[in-house]
Amino acid sequence: MVIASEAGPSKSGREKEGSPEEKDDRTFECNICLDTAKDAVVSMCGHLFCWPCLHQWLDTRPTRQVCPVCKAAISEDKVIPLYGRGSTKQEDPRNKVPPRPPGQRTEPENNGGFPGFGFGDGGFHMSFGIGAFPFGFVTSSFNFGDHHHQRPAHGAGRGMALLDEDPFVSKIFLWVAAIFIMWLFYA
Amino acid sequence: MANNIAAQRIQREFKEVIKSDEVAKCAIRVELVNDNYTELKGEIAGPPDTPYEGGNFVLEIKVPETYPFNPPKVRFITKIWHPNISSVTGAICLDILRDQWAAAMTLRTVLLSLQALMAAAEPDDPQDAVVAKQYKDDQEMFRLTAKHWTAKYAGGPGGNPDFEMKIRRLTDMGVEEDQARVALSSYNWDLERATEQLFS
Repeated sequence: MVIASEAGPSKSGREKEGSPEEKDDRTFECNICLDTAKDAVVSMCGHLFCWPCLHQWLDTRPTRQVCPVCKAAISEDKVIPLYGRGSTKQEDPRNKVPPRPPGQRTEPENNGGFPGFGFGDGGFHMSFGIGAFPFGFVTSSFNFGDHHHQRPAHGAGRGMALLDEDPFVSKIFLWVAAIFIMWLFYA
Repeated sequence: MANNIAAQRIQREFKEVIKSDEVAKCAIRVELVNDNYTELKGEIAGPPDTPYEGGNFVLEIKVPETYPFNPPKVRFITKIWHPNISSVTGAICLDILRDQWAAAMTLRTVLLSLQALMAAAEPDDPQDAVVAKQYKDDQEMFRLTAKHWTAKYAGGPGGNPDFEMKIRRLTDMGVEEDQARVALSSYNWDLERATEQLFS
């Protein structure tokens, strides 16, 4: 009689999903078709669905996007796919449905000592080597545009202190640095 | 293909209802009307401590092809005196059967919701304005009328000799019994006004 499961106990074994012996285990039933969830997705409120089922539900009521179980706000790009072991390739007959949204992978936090070590590729590495203290500002502001994970605040902070000390001197350093970098590129 | 989901789901829900505790307590019941799971017959026991207590109310449940993405179409076959249910057609005013429907709801939850509606009417969102007005203006009159309807149509206990007598007076004049009952119920069992309305 359970209206299918708060998805809470899902820790207890995701491998069970899709295995035929577990027909009685209703924890992994889709809340819409009441069958074992295929292409399973879970909403932010924790409710489990087949992706085709949920997609059709959201499609039926474009103006009222709510969870079919608890009526919490729900949206297609905020569901999380569940990739159980051995349950990836289940062709669904109702497959006129856009692909299930992918999982969102975040790279683990990289806590290197100095930010400069994070991007040791090519010429940048070299400019770091030479640009001791005064160039710190330039090198780091140059690297600012880089896509790598870094902490620009550190370098910028140093630059600001420099500017406060003597704008003229720092301007000269800036030019020197610019010329130096140009030289690096052309050399 | 949608039909496929609908039939498959109703099949599962049907089993769910049969196995549920409520069936064991005789509170709700479903029966198949046809083989392809598109139409069912539901039954709800009148909730205790209401004028519907002791009655058994039959429902018509039609499952659309787009079920469960759209709600089933449900109406009372058993005549009932209730602010949110039409005393004439049995049409039900309940949000979950309209815009508040959610795909995870089932036959079981719908029947239980209807039972809850019977126990707690919403006179401010009426289906039958006449009943709703009586419910708001004269609770006791409403209770007696609803109880009378339950006894008459849903097999509930107790009759009401006064009401019966008034109905007989009208049927003697050639009015059909159900029609007489509706007219009298609508006019708080005032025989004169009911007669006036019927013959005007």
